Amino acid sequence: MSCLAAFCLASAAMAADEDSDLELIPHTEPAAAPAVAAQPAGHSARVYVENALTFNTLRNDLLVPPPPPLTPHWEERLLGDVRAEWSLAPGALVAYSGRLNLVTRDGLGFPNRGNVTNDLRELHLSVEPRPGNYLDVGRINVKSGVALGFNPTDFFKARAVIDPLTADPSALRENRLGTLMVRGQHVGESGSISLVYAPKATGAAALDDDPDRGFSPLFGRTNGSERWLVKASARLHDDFNPEFLLFGENGRTKVGANLTASVGQSTVAYVEWAGGRRRGIIDEALAFGRQTGTIPAFAPDVIDQGGQERFRSQAAIGASYTTENKITFNLEYHYNEAGFSRADWSRWFAAGEGRPASSPIARQLWFVRDYAAENQEPLQRHAVFLRADWVDFLVPKLELTGFVLADAADGSTLLQLEANYASTDFWSFGVLASGTTGGRRSNFGSLPRAGTVLFKATRYF
Amino acid sequence: MIAAVLAVAFAMNAHPVAAQSAQEIVTAADRVRNPTASFRSTLVLTEYVSGQERSHSAFVLFSKPDASARFRNLLEYVEPPRDAGKRVLLDGRAFWFYDPASKTSVRISAQQRLVGQAAIGDVLSVNLAADYSATVAGTETIDDATRQKRNTWHLELKAATDTAVYNRIEYWVEQGTFRPVKGKFYSDSGRLLKIIYYRSFTERLAAQRPSEAVIIDAVDSSLATIATFSDSRFQDVPDAWFQRDYLPRLQVQ
Repeated sequence: MSCLAAFCLASAAMAADEDSDLELIPHTEPAAAPAVAAQPAGHSARVYVENALTFNTLRNDLLVPPPPPLTPHWEERLLGDVRAEWSLAPGALVAYSGRLNLVTRDGLGFPNRGNVTNDLRELHLSVEPRPGNYLDVGRINVKSGVALGFNPTDFFKARAVIDPLTADPSALRENRLGTLMVRGQHVGESGSISLVYAPKATGAAALDDDPDRGFSPLFGRTNGSERWLVKASARLHDDFNPEFLLFGENGRTKVGANLTASVGQSTVAYVEWAGGRRRGIIDEALAFGRQTGTIPAFAPDVIDQGGQERFRSQAAIGASYTTENKITFNLEYHYNEAGFSRADWSRWFAAGEGRPASSPIARQLWFVRDYAAENQEPLQRHAVFLRADWVDFLVPKLELTGFVLADAADGSTLLQLEANYASTDFWSFGVLASGTTGGRRSNFGSLPRAGTVLFKATRYF
Repeated sequence: MIAAVLAVAFAMNAHPVAAQSAQEIVTAADRVRNPTASFRSTLVLTEYVSGQERSHSAFVLFSKPDASARFRNLLEYVEPPRDAGKRVLLDGRAFWFYDPASKTSVRISAQQRLVGQAAIGDVLSVNLAADYSATVAGTETIDDATRQKRNTWHLELKAATDTAVYNRIEYWVEQGTFRPVKGKFYSDSGRLLKIIYYRSFTERLAAQRPSEAVIIDAVDSSLATIATFSDSRFQDVPDAWFQRDYLPRLQVQ
């Protein structure tokens, strides 16, 4: 009986414990029903205005100094960003995405043509003539890839990113130009297939064509060559939905694949790979420089990678892991067979050391690096990327994001730490610090920009 | 008082319920929370810090049961403005997050869907009976969210499939009505993560269903979220909508 009494008391205590949870329930009424229909029927938009003030610290002891224009010490940018869709009829819509920038920076002057620029990211018509079948025409951003830090299968990324405010490779996609194209897509119950044709609309623009671009749509960046893409995915299993790609440009073909799988409750593993016949990045860059007139046709190659065209691979292999403390880590290995080998780096520094920034040799050497950066292609052959994203860091709505990109050959790094606080549903404030580390003869340690601090305030509408 | 305590004790011990019955209780409670056909709902998540409203988010949610009674879910953010247009797809073990700003779909883990914005993972349509094996721990009289006494089955749910998000759940279901009253959700490490109260039972999708869920963050008990369902209606949802390549195509009207 004493046992039963004890059990009774224990049960009562358990029920009382359960009822104590009620004290944690908020007593105020929740928000009113959502304004799903707040926007006009058939219209959706996301609009924000952002002010970003950037300060850079520069290295002054570079072995190979870059040619002008120099990286500015500061920049102030006020931008208005719009993404909108208008439904024309059932199964037909027009989409627009763009950004208007008011910019002033160290060395730019005011007023100046470069003070006002407009980035026309997308403008296209989409129709669905039959359920699941789509036809899109216009400037469209087609993106591919499952990795965060490097996307070998993102074939339309070349020269598409303009004026990024962050070095975070996973965020570079946000302000990027689409490509003039026609796309047909079928999305079915067990898979999808897309066919893309992007014509050559104009000659390829030189790398430095747009410091005063104003309202130019910059088609020379995105449609300087004829390209096509076939992309197909199939849902073979709950957990297996591979994607395969076939891409063509200037008579060369590349193949690619994206694979993901969940591992337990907290981990997603992924592999992204692309390969095709091509030359090394140095040889490609110098050929492009001559094609666009930046490098004189008669100028000899300061360095080269042998000029051989052969099958070369690029890959990003990684995994994400989320902790119970709301931190998500992404760890990736990046491989670029066309990138710089150790010998290439040695030749790069040997060719440029002691040369003045204005010398044709320094110009050619930095052109190679600028070309790789513009094409979002890693200059290094092997790299390790670690990114952490901490939601609700210290207080709710404060998000802390940081990453390290390390050249596996020389240990130099690109680092960034960013904090964003959403103070209300409409306002957010952020601060970002990034920097490069490494010796004077290393990949990231030889960049002119040693560190960057950015302050930003954003108002959403 | 003593009589009441004794009554509870006898109720807990006099009629042990078979495991199959426990599973039936969970199934019946699932049918109270969700219908057996595909539907659409509008959802508001109001977040509180120390009892004060901090922010809110709004979504449109499309849910469709598959052959194994598991729901496939597709969700679009409507508010706040910074998140409008973002989409989440849950299909079996695969979760995809689509951001219109980057125009990319990123695969996320089951754990990550719970730590994203506003506890999205807790408000997607889920049938617990499909992923957990249940036993009855006893019967208890507990207060519901409105402090009304409810005679409940206290169920112990253990993850039975790899699509189960939580390792363990304590679940209180009202006897007779099979209405879910409360749940406690635990991680793999045994840590209590969430406490959820189901309340505001109203006529929705052709039955009396909870139109609100109070989600208490057990890790930081100053945080709570109230999920409110409205504008629920049956809607046929094509299977193609649950392809990740459909995410950029979704048009919420």
